[in-house]
Amino acid sequence: MLKYLKEEGPLGPRMPLIFCPGCGAGQVLNYTLQATDRLMEKDGIRKEQFLFISGIGCSSRIASHYLNFDSAWTIHGRALAVATGALVANPAFKVIVFTGDGDTGSIGGNHFIHACRRNIDVTILCLNNDLYGMTGGQHAPTTPLGEITTTTPYGSIEAAFDLCKLAEVSGASYVARWTTAHPRQTIRSIVKGIRKRGTAFIEILAQCPVHKKMSPVSMLRMYREKTVQISKTREPAEGKIPIGEFCDLDKPEWNESYQRIIDQFRGKAKIGV
Amino acid sequence: MYRLWVEEKYCKGCLICIDVCPKDALAPAHEMNARGYILPVEEDMTRCKGCKLCELMCPDFAIAIEEIEGNG
Repeated sequence: MLKYLKEEGPLGPRMPLIFCPGCGAGQVLNYTLQATDRLMEKDGIRKEQFLFISGIGCSSRIASHYLNFDSAWTIHGRALAVATGALVANPAFKVIVFTGDGDTGSIGGNHFIHACRRNIDVTILCLNNDLYGMTGGQHAPTTPLGEITTTTPYGSIEAAFDLCKLAEVSGASYVARWTTAHPRQTIRSIVKGIRKRGTAFIEILAQCPVHKKMSPVSMLRMYREKTVQISKTREPAEGKIPIGEFCDLDKPEWNESYQRIIDQFRGKAKIGV
Repeated sequence: MYRLWVEEKYCKGCLICIDVCPKDALAPAHEMNARGYILPVEEDMTRCKGCKLCELMCPDFAIAIEEIEGNG
């Protein structure tokens, strides 16, 4: 997948990746490139059609710094606002937004729920590491109850946001959650999300070995043990994180609805009355 | 037969590749490299079946499995 990466930038070499050893962001980048490679091969999507947009955070370094695709590095939490603008200007774009849990859940919370409500054709890849990694491991809205971070040394007393449920009730077409320990499922979900007309929200639990003070290998093992795939027949066991596809609906997409209005009134409107 | 390729400049020694290998074909090196990381080395590549899970899960694009001609 090295052919899709920028090895040289204007200020010198960009590889190796800036992330800490064993960071999940590199893995998600790897999975996304596998998915885009598959789409270019099977669906005939051209390289110029992909547009990667990110906000601020560890995960958002991916889009602007390493990809050999068109990309934009925007302001904190507002990546989805820029993505909406890009899609309204050119609906042929396949927009992929890389965000983190802080970028989506707290700073850009409003942009997130309204992008899901509009159901515009964007694929949101949210790397959830349960804390603010770039600024030093502080408590984030997605930190689970009782979790120890640098700003909650005796355990978090706040309940965590469930971003998948939030996306689902806000009106996203496709919602899924996987972890970095499930590579094939994640790649399949990203392919499905990009093919989907409408907002696709894919939350990927990604390890932060530095701030969680665990080795990357033990964190991946923990993800395998602590998660359980959802099924229609039974409830997930107590204390386990449900993973899988939460919703997969066919709803009218924003650009399609807008085009329908244009077609309906084209030729009928009178200029100047 | 398969051959291991590790890009020493990119690898940060997280050792995820060794953990995910279902056939235990890789092992950590005995010595650190110049940057202080322990890289993966070949343990027994005749066990490798070419599933490329290590390549898929590498966070740093540092590992690759190449197929080579041979009686394996």
